[in-house]
Amino acid sequence: MVLLCWAAPLAAQTESDLAERILTLEQQVAELTRRLSGAASPGGQPGGLAGATALADRVAALEVEVQRLLREFPSPAEQRASGTPPLRRLGTASAAPAPPLQTALPSLQRSGAAARPTEDLRLPVSGYMELNFSKPQEQSAVLDFRRFVLLFGHSFSERLKFWSELEVEHALVEGAEEKGELELEQAYVDFLLHPAVNVRGGMLLTPMGILNERHEPPSFYGVLRPQVDTVIIPSTWFDVGAGVFGDLGKGLSYKFYGMAPLDATGFTAEEGLRGGRQKGSQSFLEDWAQAVRLEYRGVPRLVLGTSLWSGKTGLNLQTVNPSVRIYEFDGRYRWRRLEWRGQFAKTYLTQARELNLALERQTGVSPNLARQMRGFYLEGAAHILPRQSRFDLVGFARYENFDTQFRMPRGFLPLKQFDRTLWTLGASFYPHPDIAVKADYQILQNESRAVGAPNQFNLGLGWWF
Amino acid sequence: MDQESPSRFLTVAVIALLAGSALGFAGAAVTARTRTASNQEPAAQPFVEIRVTAERFSFTPSLIKVAAGTIVEIVAESEDTTHGFHLADAGIDEQVPARGKGELRLRFEATQAGTYFFECSRPCGAGHNTMRGTIIVED
Repeated sequence: MVLLCWAAPLAAQTESDLAERILTLEQQVAELTRRLSGAASPGGQPGGLAGATALADRVAALEVEVQRLLREFPSPAEQRASGTPPLRRLGTASAAPAPPLQTALPSLQRSGAAARPTEDLRLPVSGYMELNFSKPQEQSAVLDFRRFVLLFGHSFSERLKFWSELEVEHALVEGAEEKGELELEQAYVDFLLHPAVNVRGGMLLTPMGILNERHEPPSFYGVLRPQVDTVIIPSTWFDVGAGVFGDLGKGLSYKFYGMAPLDATGFTAEEGLRGGRQKGSQSFLEDWAQAVRLEYRGVPRLVLGTSLWSGKTGLNLQTVNPSVRIYEFDGRYRWRRLEWRGQFAKTYLTQARELNLALERQTGVSPNLARQMRGFYLEGAAHILPRQSRFDLVGFARYENFDTQFRMPRGFLPLKQFDRTLWTLGASFYPHPDIAVKADYQILQNESRAVGAPNQFNLGLGWWF
Repeated sequence: MDQESPSRFLTVAVIALLAGSALGFAGAAVTARTRTASNQEPAAQPFVEIRVTAERFSFTPSLIKVAAGTIVEIVAESEDTTHGFHLADAGIDEQVPARGKGELRLRFEATQAGTYFFECSRPCGAGHNTMRGTIIVED
């Protein structure tokens, strides 16, 4: 009865008072439970079974009351988690006291009306980091703080927005030494005109594949990014440019950018186009490249995408100006506790023979570039812990097949060590949805009889904030 | 350069995308399906519930149509990190909890016909600026 009498004045008390009372009740329950255990045990205090029963009744009554109070006065975090709508009371009758937000149902009004508080300038900051440990077979282990990335944004207004991504790779940037890199991966302004047509200009991520625009460590499984997204699609791929993007409705969206092209003098047999990225650093723009991506999200839990990149790449060469075209197709699907993703990409290089000869004249060594490169991967993942669990544990397997010597120009033979398959088997543990602790084992094979391919064990810690 | 392979690839890609789109017109209708929940609470006003999935870097559905005068309840869930739900014209700026951490429920009344935008207001990654949606209020 005493406890029930508390309920009336509780509504007028502060939350801290309530928290203290709940804590006191919890302590009382704990104390009674301890006494009950003592009474019920063979060596317990006098009182016997009757005493234990009485104490048990008191414990039960207190537990019921504590639970009722906890339900009645949830913390703000619990309110958000339980989905209690902050604007819940729409003028409906209720015995409960009115929260501050209920007094006025927010009216949706025409955009373009007088300035509102939401048009105030905002400067959000976020970022992600990635720490990796790798132990290749018969080689030294490497511990590397691979990425430290900060993202900054700014809203000039509701329709004029800036976004940027600044990255330090491998923790250390030293003058002329090739240690780490300090990269400006994104820095652009959006002119938001209409959902279907918006304009963007600045340093842009090339809209290609699953990972290039979506590379926060918790968002992909595996310590290292897929090799297809490294040597066939040279992620992270960014350069200066401008373009349009929009949402066409029914789940269909697009991006179309004009961007600085790749530089063919940086292409290699092993890493394909990767060395040709100009990265917006005084990029030559004799011929601008075109990048298009279509993405479809009309079916729940399914994402389909396709991308095309096309551009001339001979900006640093006198005698040859080859074109590169990359076609890509990808998909992701979730069903219950299972996930799948896959990607296929193919690269076409025109005038590959002439390019090899021109580069050989420049450097004295033929780069042995292919006229076609190809790669694909398939990945399956399963959430192992129950949905109700506070944590998440995902087991996954990924199969990759990639060949940077897929089709050679006339007079050039493929280097078989670059026709590779890679199995990655591992798990990612999420103590929080934005923190991933990863472990995997990679089995690399190639078609060469002379050059081996080391397997590798990886550990990783990545987070997003 | 092999001219046939790009054509074949494009054909496959377009067919797959079209097939997905065809499926999607049905799927999108399911996603955007609304229901009127008028009797969950005594004396509660009827409202239309719309479930929205937030995921880097999109809201699904990204286009919501309602009639003027409708009270809309948005129920938003995230498939990954915490996102924001900023609907400036309704004075709403709330957070959609990260995956497994619950859902966001909020209501507003569509009092006037027009086109209104909502966006993610909590930085969520490289494509954060692209994460937007539209609410069309029809007479």
